[in-house]
Amino acid sequence: MKYFLYGGCSLEAGGKNYMVSLEPVCKALGMEFEEIEDWNCCGASISYAGANELSIMTLNARNIAIAESTGGYDIVAPCSSCYIQLVKTNHELKEDAELRNKINVILKEGNLNFKGSLNVRHLMDVLYNDGGIDKIKSTAVRPLKGLKVAGYVGCQTVRPYGEYDSVERPKVHDLLLKAIGADPVPFPKKMQCCGSGIFLTELDRCLGLVKEILDDAIANGAQLISTVCPMCALNLEMYQDKVNAKFGTNFNMPVVYLTQLMAVAFGMDLKKEAALDYCVIPPEGIIKAAIGG
Amino acid sequence: MAGNYDPSFAKEVFDNVDSGEEIKMCMQCGICAGSCPLRHEMDYPPRQIFTLIRAGRRDEVMNSKAIKLCTSCYRCKVRCPRGIPVIDVMHGLAHYGIKKGIIPRKGTAAFGGEFWKMIYNIGRIDEKTLPLKYNLLEGLVPGIKSTIEMAPMGIQMFLHHRMKLLPERKIKGIKELRKMLDKAKEMGKGGAN
Ligand code: SF4
Ligand code: SF4
Repeated sequence: MKYFLYGGCSLEAGGKNYMVSLEPVCKALGMEFEEIEDWNCCGASISYAGANELSIMTLNARNIAIAESTGGYDIVAPCSSCYIQLVKTNHELKEDAELRNKINVILKEGNLNFKGSLNVRHLMDVLYNDGGIDKIKSTAVRPLKGLKVAGYVGCQTVRPYGEYDSVERPKVHDLLLKAIGADPVPFPKKMQCCGSGIFLTELDRCLGLVKEILDDAIANGAQLISTVCPMCALNLEMYQDKVNAKFGTNFNMPVVYLTQLMAVAFGMDLKKEAALDYCVIPPEGIIKAAIGG
Repeated sequence: MAGNYDPSFAKEVFDNVDSGEEIKMCMQCGICAGSCPLRHEMDYPPRQIFTLIRAGRRDEVMNSKAIKLCTSCYRCKVRCPRGIPVIDVMHGLAHYGIKKGIIPRKGTAAFGGEFWKMIYNIGRIDEKTLPLKYNLLEGLVPGIKSTIEMAPMGIQMFLHHRMKLLPERKIKGIKELRKMLDKAKEMGKGGAN
């Protein structure tokens, strides 16, 4: 199966370990990716401070329109923030003819046109529905036996449309973890927002959100947290020092991408493909213990 | 803030704020407020913001920190029984306030402003330089202090290959993108300003 991959700005930098691991994992599942030619930023969650709704929608309509004009495949977004921006634009433009006309007047400035012929999908949707649990199970030659993982879903990963999973009780992340032999722990805070786009500017408030998520993972016996979004990963991993300083806690919980765990389970190289050395809080020890290496 | 009563405020919101007209459907059930992760930090949770708009309480609404504290988690939108995109209204109000120069949460407004400027200038976000630019907006001395405070994080990211070393370059179609964005600004609700 062929797809457009919309990595966005983060997957080239802070979320690099996501990109490095998702490519070989998806390849092993028979997926092929093409980059959207000359793509632009999706606007993320914070652009509203500088721009109106129509401008932010324009950013995403441009990316979709370029994809439409260069191929007929679905767009896959691994970052939940990019996903929500693209899927929202796609959804609203497909449903609202008046809005679509407006956007097409705007896109005309760049000789583009939104037709509404493609779907936008989160990487997790594609892994689960196109890769499939059976194929993942049979590819997992090195299952992560007994590894206790808190599968963090976050907020924008399935909301607001719930296109491939429940918006209140999501289960896809846990099913994927099970398929690679891991043991997903109960994790009531799996959908609590991590602070996302206002993290840096409202640090004090958001540190509390991160603390609650980490507390919940630990209380339920998790050895590490799995994520599917570079914003979540960054906020949950990189701010543990600041949480510790503020609350007098002692967190040192590794945070990895689901695709890193999948790469390990698929028997791939722990560095070159699973990119475990990209993690600032090292997960190697725990993971090696699970695979008996 | 005594909060003067301004009977035209509701209409102003319906007409000029992105998604502002959506609140006409609100039945004041409070589900959005109960679902919001930062509700304890908000002076008025979303439901109350909508009441205040209808009551013409312009000052309270525009100066509320609630409308700038939205993390964009979409929980309100998912749960609202009337299908109101509460999040879009909150963002619309925040943007409207900033346009009018009412900026009670300076940090988020400044960060978002720099974020947008970078998109307009190069079409993408450069994760290295954005926090730096944002910190320097505080002024040189406090800016350098914040940058140094955040430096250990940057160094860790660098050591773990998670920093893109080359500066982000302009996308090829930047000229056309800017033309589109200018047009979108003009055609958006409430016009170019
Ligand atoms: S999207 Fe914003 S207003 Fe809505 S629940 Fe989340 S933080 Fe609150
Ligand atoms: S959930 Fe919807 S109807 Fe209920 S108070 Fe919030 S906006 Fe109004």
